[in-house]
Amino acid sequence: MISIDKSVMKTDTLDLDNLSPEQTALEIRNLDLKYGDKQALFDVSMKIPKKKVTAFIGPSGCGKSTLLRCINRMNDLVDNCHIGGEIMLHGQNIYDKKVDVASLRRNVGMVFQRPNPFPKSIYENVVYGLRLQGINNRRELDEAAERSLRGAAIWDEVKDRLHDNAFGLSGGQQQRLVIARAIAIEPEVLLLDEPTSALDPISTLTIEELITELKSKYTVVIVTHNMQQAARVSDQTAFMYMGELIEYADTNTIFTTPKQRKTEDYITGRYG
Amino acid sequence: MGKWFKSGAPWIWMTGGAVSISLIAVLGLLLLIAWRGLSYFWPAEIYQWELVDQQGQKSTIIGEIYDREEVPTERLISAGHKFNDHPGETVTRYLIKTGNREFVGLDFRWVMETDIVSRSTPEGIAKMERTKNGDFYGYPVAIIENGKRLNPEDVESEFEAQIERAVELSEKAVGLQKREIGAINHKLEQLRLKERRYELDNALTDSRKLELQTQRDTLQADYLVLEKQFFDLRAEAGRDAVIIKDMRGQEVTLKLDSILGVTYSNRLNVFGKAAHWVKGVINFVTHDPREANTEGGVFPAIFGTVFMVMLMAVIVTPFGVVAAIYLHEYAKKGPITKMIRIAVINLAGVPSIVYGVFGLGFFVYMLGGSIDQLFYPEALPTPTFGSPGVIWSALTLAILTLPVVIVSTEEGLSRIPSSVRQGSLALGATKAETLWRIIIPMASPAIMTGLILAVARAAGEVAPLMLVGVVKLAPTLPIDMNFPFVHLERKFMHLGFHIYDVGFQSPNVEAARPLVYATSFLLVSVIVSLNLTAIAVRNHLREKYRSLEH
Repeated sequence: MISIDKSVMKTDTLDLDNLSPEQTALEIRNLDLKYGDKQALFDVSMKIPKKKVTAFIGPSGCGKSTLLRCINRMNDLVDNCHIGGEIMLHGQNIYDKKVDVASLRRNVGMVFQRPNPFPKSIYENVVYGLRLQGINNRRELDEAAERSLRGAAIWDEVKDRLHDNAFGLSGGQQQRLVIARAIAIEPEVLLLDEPTSALDPISTLTIEELITELKSKYTVVIVTHNMQQAARVSDQTAFMYMGELIEYADTNTIFTTPKQRKTEDYITGRYG
Repeated sequence: MGKWFKSGAPWIWMTGGAVSISLIAVLGLLLLIAWRGLSYFWPAEIYQWELVDQQGQKSTIIGEIYDREEVPTERLISAGHKFNDHPGETVTRYLIKTGNREFVGLDFRWVMETDIVSRSTPEGIAKMERTKNGDFYGYPVAIIENGKRLNPEDVESEFEAQIERAVELSEKAVGLQKREIGAINHKLEQLRLKERRYELDNALTDSRKLELQTQRDTLQADYLVLEKQFFDLRAEAGRDAVIIKDMRGQEVTLKLDSILGVTYSNRLNVFGKAAHWVKGVINFVTHDPREANTEGGVFPAIFGTVFMVMLMAVIVTPFGVVAAIYLHEYAKKGPITKMIRIAVINLAGVPSIVYGVFGLGFFVYMLGGSIDQLFYPEALPTPTFGSPGVIWSALTLAILTLPVVIVSTEEGLSRIPSSVRQGSLALGATKAETLWRIIIPMASPAIMTGLILAVARAAGEVAPLMLVGVVKLAPTLPIDMNFPFVHLERKFMHLGFHIYDVGFQSPNVEAARPLVYATSFLLVSVIVSLNLTAIAVRNHLREKYRSLEH
């Protein structure tokens, strides 16, 4: 067993199998995914609760990032990718033909492994999503920029150089800028795909603190390699292995009394 | 030895050597044409030779040394040359520019060193640049003002003042002819076309006829006034003349309006020569050519080259970029896309004259011909767009350089990290929005690189242009003050073609040779400055869209 900081352990556990519709942000039903002939996800079903942090863990290539990318249809960009099953958001299957992918992605924001700011100023990076929606009112944009940058805990560092190029920021600052950019358009769900894997320990700590704050407003889904990180920041944890969802429970349970043999092997470091 | 090979040193020597040889080649080329071209404007010493030929005939010639060569005596003797005393293995022979073409037949002459008795550099020799018949060398003696012969004390300064006056008047006359009279001619032509248009539409009523006639009469009256002014100016400029003693010792009368300037090269010090050189270079790049392009400047050719290349850039950039975006972003990756891409790349290997033939057949005859029939029926059978012109040249070169732009734009697009695209898409942008807001700006340095390569290639092309728009002498520039100001259907002059024309088609090969070098150097300078501008823009863009790697 790895040691876990008790102070962040959650006591109010949810019954993940029987979440009420009000508590559910997303429901994944029997999701299968194939890249060409290679199946990457096998019959994944789970409910992700609202305004909580849900972590996906598992060894490399287990399909956790793939599953995350299904939630805002980023896999559409991959040629030869076939998806079966449903993901329900607001009672609507996001893979339905009627769904507008762009508006789905406005509701489900995403932050990637490596910071990917645009080659624009810090300010323009943050308001990019708003400008896409046709908002060009200076005051509205200024307010949104400040709110988002404060929300991403980077306002104090950049408020004096909003119009400098975003590439001038450090890696950790860039990642927080990217988070600010994602929350500027006020999504309901925020997907974080190993957001700290390219960062140094101190930046990682800042981002982790930020994630715990973010859940007051957003449903956060995070993929991580780092089990301590999952234990520190998440409320629920899903363990995946070879494209299958092995175990999904609240973080406390997973890390103290896993039900499945494979989960226990993984978190005790026997493989992965 | 084996160790030396293993150390890698030979490899460094080889690669470094290759770079040095390329550098030497490029610098050598530039230095040669720059030296040959620019030294032409440096005022040379003017000599006066006393000669005695084999028959004992004495003569004097005045001129500049243009070239010299060593000729084996054997060859001269076998060619029928007789020497009084054997001069040794070889004899030096000078090519002398004597000018005065209309009096001595040829303005270049070979002179054997053995014939020369003496050589001097008298300060009083004047070299006169003339509008016709090339340069004239001689001693100014007197001036004819209003038909009276004056023998002023200071002939030279009086002469210079008179030239200034004549040149000023001639320039006024030319300006009048080009601008005011040109405008009236343009308007008259428009009236003729208007009448013809009415005629074709069967709408030429009597009232319209009358209206056109009145307009024509007013213009005609204006024209007559201007014409009179023009002739007055010309007559005023040609009022006086100068009497020059030439190398035969005879007095020759030259009208002042035929003289553009006078230099006493032998009297100038280094600074005077430098000033003269600067003036010569400026005149060369700002004046129109004279005498079948062997004299005067090349301004219309510079203008035509730059204008055509810019027009081409304006056409090729959007086309190439749009095509590259489709190929890279939208087309399915399959055998067909691959084939199209290979075809595009191979287009760059098609000989340029083939594009010229295509341009003539497709653009000039088909497209231009159709435009004429649809929009300019009144001018037929004289073609408007249906004959070679600057727009067709620009289009032909745009097709020629399209592959370059497509290839480098595609390269730029593929260098953009996918994380940036995904970042934009994840914020709810559509693919088109991502393209416009992120991808194309980030690819703009690569687009500029494509443009630089395209400009470099297009500015140097001559062969296709000879079919689709370049002429030896264009009377008007493609831009002037007559509505609609930009005349894309006009033929134009081009520096590359000018080199060919001056070098190979000129009636006076010796006089044209330095101009070939000067024009070549100018062409290189024009291309280099176009490229430097584009490179500056690209570097600015690069700095702005620094890639994500650092």
